[in-house]
Amino acid sequence: MGNKYYTPDGFTDQLPGVCAFKRELEARLRNLFLMNGYDEIETPGIEYFDVYKSFVAEEELYKFTDGKGRLLCTRYDGTIPVARYAAGRNDTLPIRLSYIENMYRAGQIGGGKQSGFTQAGIELLGASGSKSDAEVLALAIKSALELGLTDLQVSVGQVQFFKGLSRQLGLSGETIAKVKAAISNRDSVTIEKLDLSREDKDTLLMITESGGTYDTIDNMLPRVTDEGAKAALGNIKEILDIMERYGYLKYVSVDLGLIESIDYYTGMVFKGYTYEVGFPVFGGGRYDDVSKTFGKDMAAVGFSISLTLAITALMRQDKFTPAAGATVIVGGDFETAIATAEALRAEGTAAVLDTTGMTEEELDTYAKARGIETIMYMNGGEA
Amino acid sequence: MLTIALSKGRLADQTLDLMEKAGYDVTAAREKSRKLILEDQDAGLRFILAKPSDVPTYVEYGAADIGVVGKDTLLEEGRQLYEVLDLGLGRCRMCVAGPAALKDKLDDIPNKRVGTKYPNITRNYFEGVKKESVEIIKLNGSVELAPLTGLAEVIVDIVESGRTLYENGLDVLETVADISARLVVNRVSMKMKADEIKPMISKLREALEEGET
Repeated sequence: MGNKYYTPDGFTDQLPGVCAFKRELEARLRNLFLMNGYDEIETPGIEYFDVYKSFVAEEELYKFTDGKGRLLCTRYDGTIPVARYAAGRNDTLPIRLSYIENMYRAGQIGGGKQSGFTQAGIELLGASGSKSDAEVLALAIKSALELGLTDLQVSVGQVQFFKGLSRQLGLSGETIAKVKAAISNRDSVTIEKLDLSREDKDTLLMITESGGTYDTIDNMLPRVTDEGAKAALGNIKEILDIMERYGYLKYVSVDLGLIESIDYYTGMVFKGYTYEVGFPVFGGGRYDDVSKTFGKDMAAVGFSISLTLAITALMRQDKFTPAAGATVIVGGDFETAIATAEALRAEGTAAVLDTTGMTEEELDTYAKARGIETIMYMNGGEA
Repeated sequence: MLTIALSKGRLADQTLDLMEKAGYDVTAAREKSRKLILEDQDAGLRFILAKPSDVPTYVEYGAADIGVVGKDTLLEEGRQLYEVLDLGLGRCRMCVAGPAALKDKLDDIPNKRVGTKYPNITRNYFEGVKKESVEIIKLNGSVELAPLTGLAEVIVDIVESGRTLYENGLDVLETVADISARLVVNRVSMKMKADEIKPMISKLREALEEGET
């Protein structure tokens, strides 16, 4: 067959250097999550299709069957398998879980956004309220900073705000969908054409143009009468207060138009952006209803950051430092070379041992080609 | 520095006229050459000239911050973008067209074959709006030939004056959508480069409103 030379569309090999750099980033995040009390878990990577079917469009999942003909799919995200796991147990709540794993999404293409990519994330389950929201948001920002993404902007929204506002404006099913699309496209043209009062249109236009912090909320509050929408604004305000304590307020802006996210969010939502990649590097929010699908009523909030996109951004921002491989190659007399290489390794220097019997000249050429700094050519008996 | 993706052809010139009216120096982009990227350091603008159907792709991936492209291309490509302004350029309609005899009788034909350059728009219209499945035949040009030669019963295509249709005994049967050029913005750029992009949107909006009065 003709495909044996390639990786499938949307999937790539992680080359030496990049792979080591990625492992180092993973280690930093793993440590950060641990320091904040999040225990890492590993889910199998293959789930029953039923686990995902209420949350993800069918064509986004890679599917196959098990030996009994039951439909399986590959892991699409970290959140749903973790919710499935947590709902099936009787742990004392709240529980804090983290993961760093590969995700597989059919129908994604290009721009550093691949079908196979690595995400790190946390889920805080069994905890509601602004303080829990803020912990997750703060950890998302901390993660990005830890990776070196210091040019960071984070948008925070609240899905209950738009729900409440739709009630207040008396929008019906079809109009809601239209307005939602218009807001998420920042499409003022469609909003202007709606059959609403001038004041209501201005309120909707304010949503598309929001982007401040406390001022955005204060300007919006007098226009809001719905209790749910008011509570949503209060929730964001409390989150901003806590961000200030962390010293993260400078990264955060309020975006009340952040409603294009996955449908399962029920409260705070956020996205993190940096230069040189066209997609958000992290995203998250509150999803209190997800665990109901798995038979348990459990508030939850979480975030995930794409390591694959983060690496693309770091490379384009000239912040990529390929991790060094071995710095020494030892050749020549084999017995002496083994002893020397082992001694170097014992004291913490990564050393390559020549097993092909190269001459000193060949060793030199080889070392140059492989980027190995130091050559040690052993003459029998002496170093 | 803002990167702007223009749709090669007449729309690019019209866009530049509008930008000029809004107070931007676009001399770099007017340069007659075979260069595909035209940059003006002082004005802080870089223009890329792309095939219209590729403009949404450049903008979605962030290779360009802003783009100007027809609504037809946006509908067909279905990209994740901010669609912030209707520039009113290149106005036309996306229509279902066919033999004039089919007028008001379109629903009577089961399992229609539809010739089009826009398979996604066609699918969304027939499956989403009209709730029927059709056989879509993807064509690359002179779509009007399809009903004339019996390749398809009807077509879905852009109609400006309708002259090509009428001269070939065809007529507009249904309107799918109104089309005009839109200003689109990458979702990350809108945040990261808000200081440059937001003023540009309001200046262009003002220039448009001036044009209307």
